[in-house]
Amino acid sequence: MKTITHVIQDPLGLHARPAGLLAKAAAACGDCTVNLTFKDRTVDAKRIMGLMKLGAKQGDTLTITCEGENEDAAAASMESFLKENL
Amino acid sequence: MGIFDKLFHKPQSEHPVITAPVAGTAVSLQEVNDPTFSQEILGKGIAIRPTEGQIVAPCDGKVDMMFDTGHAVSLVSTNGMEILIHVGLETVQLKGKHYTTHAKTGDTVKQGQPLISFDREAIAAEGYDLITPIVLCNSDRFPILQAHLGAVSAGDPLLTIDA
Repeated sequence: MKTITHVIQDPLGLHARPAGLLAKAAAACGDCTVNLTFKDRTVDAKRIMGLMKLGAKQGDTLTITCEGENEDAAAASMESFLKENL
Repeated sequence: MGIFDKLFHKPQSEHPVITAPVAGTAVSLQEVNDPTFSQEILGKGIAIRPTEGQIVAPCDGKVDMMFDTGHAVSLVSTNGMEILIHVGLETVQLKGKHYTTHAKTGDTVKQGQPLISFDREAIAAEGYDLITPIVLCNSDRFPILQAHLGAVSAGDPLLTIDA
């Protein structure tokens, strides 16, 4: 399992647009399971509505875990996605 | 003719239907002036230019999240469709002003039950576009068979789903 963390830079937090893009990026990881944890809640990063429900704001830390097929590549792609978009 | 073949194979009445959450004019999502919706980043769907100020449940289900600002609500239908209704564009910035919520996260709701009321004139007067996208966030699992464009009343069929 690969774990990465990201501090949200977007002033509006994990709102609709980044949540949609994040779910797409996670879905592109194929069979690798991508979960996102914020505070005490963990959601499937491939599901938009779960991500939006977290209500994560600017300055909050997200933890992303990638487990399964090609987890190294999945973690690397999620890390670069988060840096560029959130 | 794929759409019509499917319709004829299964009577339309057996397909799940998402009904209009508000009266107005239903238009394609591509007409929404926000790439998050027009590029279908949140999923496929439809949009309504509202002519009334009340959002009602578009199906039986559960309120997945009522945003505390009242500008958006997401629901999960009884059969698992994940529906997001976003009342106006960029309206998160109103921070709840001009919106009143009538249901809360976790509530079980019936189709037609009021969810949000909003002051159309006041929101428009502040310069916001009131177009209301209705997005099926898991449209990969629930493909849209037919979108009913044009004038709609709240409760009219809006999206027919291939499930």
